[in-house]
Amino acid sequence: MPIRVLPTLLAAQIAAGEVIERPASVVKELIENALDAGATALNIEIHGSGTKLLRVRDNGHGIPANELELAIARHATSKIQSVDDLNHIRTLGFRGEALHSIAAVSRLTLTSCHHKQPTGAQLIAEGGQIKDIRSVGSAIGTTVEVADLFYNVPARRKFLKSDATEKRHVVAVVNQYAMAYPKVRFQLIIDGRETFHTSGNGKLGDVIVAVMGLDTFRSMIEVAPLAPLRDDLPFIEVYGFTTLPEVNRANRSHIYLFVNGRAITDQRLTYAVVQAYHTLIPSGRYPLAVLMINIDPEDVDVNVHPTKAEVRFRSPDAVFSAVQRTVRHAITQKMSPVHVRQTPTPEIDTDTKQATWPPSSTSSISKSSTSPTNSKRRQQLDFDLDTPNIGRYSHQIGQSQTDEAFLEEANYPHDEIVSPPYIQPKESDDPTAIPITIGKPKRPRTLPILRVVGQLKATYIITEGPAGMYLIDQHAAHERILYEELMAAYSQKQVITQQVLDTFILELGSAQSQALFTYKDELANVGFTFEEFGRNTFKVISVPALLSDRDPAQVLYGLLDDLANGDPAGEAEIEAKIVKRICKGIAVKAGQVLSHHEMQNLVHQLERCENPFTCPHGRPTFIHLSNEALEREFGRA
Amino acid sequence: MRVSVLQENLQRALNIVTRAVPSRPTLPILNNVMISTDNARIKLSATNLDLGIHVWIGGSVDEEGATTVPAKLFYDLVSILSPERIDLNLDKRTQTLYLHCGGNNNQIKCIDAVEFPIIPEADASTGIAVPALEFKRMIELVAFSASKEENKPVLAGILTRMEGNTLIMAATDGYRLSECRAVLERGATTSFQVIIPARALFELSRIISDADEDVLISLPEGRRQVMFHLNNVDVVSSLIDGTFPDYERAIPKNFQTITTVYTEDLLRSARRAAIFARDNADTTQMHIRPPEGTHTHGEVVLSSSSAEKGSNESLIDASVEGAPLEIALNVRYLLEVLGVVGDDQIEICTNTSSDACLIRPYHNDEYRQFQHVIMPMRINN
Repeated sequence: MPIRVLPTLLAAQIAAGEVIERPASVVKELIENALDAGATALNIEIHGSGTKLLRVRDNGHGIPANELELAIARHATSKIQSVDDLNHIRTLGFRGEALHSIAAVSRLTLTSCHHKQPTGAQLIAEGGQIKDIRSVGSAIGTTVEVADLFYNVPARRKFLKSDATEKRHVVAVVNQYAMAYPKVRFQLIIDGRETFHTSGNGKLGDVIVAVMGLDTFRSMIEVAPLAPLRDDLPFIEVYGFTTLPEVNRANRSHIYLFVNGRAITDQRLTYAVVQAYHTLIPSGRYPLAVLMINIDPEDVDVNVHPTKAEVRFRSPDAVFSAVQRTVRHAITQKMSPVHVRQTPTPEIDTDTKQATWPPSSTSSISKSSTSPTNSKRRQQLDFDLDTPNIGRYSHQIGQSQTDEAFLEEANYPHDEIVSPPYIQPKESDDPTAIPITIGKPKRPRTLPILRVVGQLKATYIITEGPAGMYLIDQHAAHERILYEELMAAYSQKQVITQQVLDTFILELGSAQSQALFTYKDELANVGFTFEEFGRNTFKVISVPALLSDRDPAQVLYGLLDDLANGDPAGEAEIEAKIVKRICKGIAVKAGQVLSHHEMQNLVHQLERCENPFTCPHGRPTFIHLSNEALEREFGRA
Repeated sequence: MRVSVLQENLQRALNIVTRAVPSRPTLPILNNVMISTDNARIKLSATNLDLGIHVWIGGSVDEEGATTVPAKLFYDLVSILSPERIDLNLDKRTQTLYLHCGGNNNQIKCIDAVEFPIIPEADASTGIAVPALEFKRMIELVAFSASKEENKPVLAGILTRMEGNTLIMAATDGYRLSECRAVLERGATTSFQVIIPARALFELSRIISDADEDVLISLPEGRRQVMFHLNNVDVVSSLIDGTFPDYERAIPKNFQTITTVYTEDLLRSARRAAIFARDNADTTQMHIRPPEGTHTHGEVVLSSSSAEKGSNESLIDASVEGAPLEIALNVRYLLEVLGVVGDDQIEICTNTSSDACLIRPYHNDEYRQFQHVIMPMRINN
């Protein structure tokens, strides 16, 4: 066949294939156009799966009558003008393809009234061919009506899923934009029924309530932006909401990420969020989160993918660490023990929940608590008894533990807690801490002093604290204590390497060899050294001794995977080994009868864990039954 | 099928054959042991598809037949029956095995023998004969160096090579290696080189008893299998495909220091060092000091330490030829080789602290030569 230029319609249909996959993609493109036009209210209406009729109405600035025809032409846009604009895109769209593509595969009616013009105009197109343009009366704004989507692309129609699935996709798209633009009023009508709306009052929390439901939102905490670790790092603002560790799901699909108001999918960033929950939730479970990432538009490239679902960062590591650090900070600030589930009336239920977490619209960092009950309940988690003016040594703790006056005195505002960064040697980061033994500074208290009452089923330790009863799982608690101790010890250790027999030649793929060179120094730091032995062929000289029960090639692949994920090399595996050793070997088991002294000792150590709330596998170490709950249960309140 | 056997014979046979029963079988039938009649003998067979074992026992066969019996149940039951005659009677239609022993009656639900995979039997006429106890000893010297990990099959295997009348076996996990060479009195007719799973050889070494004189090793053509034939026992294992690392390159030939010590002394010191080395990646430091004057001993100091637990140091007399040296070794590796070496003295042959360390028995005899190489550790500050 001779080479020919494709007819316009065919070319348009091919292009549409990239952008317009399903009704939800049409909705997405039209919402973006509306938002770029400065709309503050959007009305989205679909019938059937959206293939029959789909209408998006906005109150943006509209399109002048004389530009209507251009609007559906290919590569025609008002959003950018020069190549230079491409480098700092502040609009959602910019490719000038959306309307053109939609028009190519549907019967399109475009009605618009420009805010400076007295009357509106209407354009009717079928399969990309303009049928009619006339002036009509219309409110300011634009309405796009897409009928018989894919009527001329049977192949695409065949690949559409069931109506319910397509509807779900539309809802998901609208939800995303509603979360990204809390200031815009969204209304979604499916088959004549309103299924979703937001008020447009600018509060992200209210949108999340509409998207995820009130119950889920109650279990969320606000993530407030943190300043960068060092001044030379770019400022990356991360804020939003994320769930407490005890609320989690079996998949990652409830982690919503937005970069500069654009919903994105990014496996690494999703992983950063999950990583922030490391050891706090069981593996295979994922948090729910809505996170806004604001970054200088110069540092992000959105022109990667036609649907712009993926973006590229100039410094992905900085974004990764900002997300992980901010989320981790928010959760560790707010973690609480698992509360005993209240069975009685739903009224009481909501009460407890609210009491645990003040409405999340208040900043998590601020001290503001909405009611006296709240602040009271908070104190017992947050105050720091390790302040310099209390002169106590470890042998005195036992005597003062029930001293109410002392507890009162120790009532410090909770934002004074300095929670040290995760997995760090427990070195003397607090010079004023009181030593337990000579030269070994005590760590800051993370739990109030607990008095051991007794043991239950040889498995749980019953303790009493200032705010009620704590039921501690002895195995989980001991695991947590040992985990923190051993990880700290590991990070202070010298690197020991095991040399490998001369014969170990690795033949790697070119990508892997490239990675090997890229990470040469990091690998050497943990003890993995190698020599080049030919093209893509390497001789392994040594591996980290802690991993030397594995074959050298496997060790290398593991290390490279860690580095590619941005984790410290080998740490995950070594950590897994430590956890296994604790769990199977040295931690106290359920069913083991403990003496009062042993229990007291265990509880003392738990009180000073960096993160006493969960065991390394993410299960809770204790559950808390508050005084209020007890009183309510016994009808005393 | 109707047969009678003595309880102790059946128990011994089951003890051997159940080693091939997989712990987590992929096919339910592999949970079972096949019991069948073979002329006037009774044959028990089991397999995990990689390793298969046949055991023959004497008994009286009244009616020929075959079935498969749940291995664990059968073994547990037989091992606590009284030492008497056991009568086995199979109802072929219902595949129920009636087991009578003294006053004890049992019915065992079986699976039809046709479902059991066919395990080839060794052909006793081909193959080379190796003295069984010698072979067992070689496995003991070599198998522990093989990798315990399954993900690199070649390293989980033992290189077995016949060169003229010399049998060579070698295993390595990448950090240490064992090699053993034995001269066979009856020379082999063919030379070959195969990699046999260490697990199969380990099981074989446990099966070999004092009563076995020779083990016949045969490699049926085109089947990627190796067969071992003993008196009344056949072991069949699949071979490992792949290239064994060129291990001979890793064995040092020249040494700066050769140290001779009593095995028992070093073993005991290493055990003590291991206690303190546990938290420190099993690292132990070995200081080799040559004699200072002409009338003194050389010495070896083995030390280990743990930041939390304390430290340990043992001094042993040694005859040292060459330069002093300080070298770090994984004490587990040291313990394992000292545990099997079998001689009362060993030679530790070293160069520098980052070169391979070779350990061999002081009296390496003419017929069997063993050497073991351990790569040292390094402590980066």
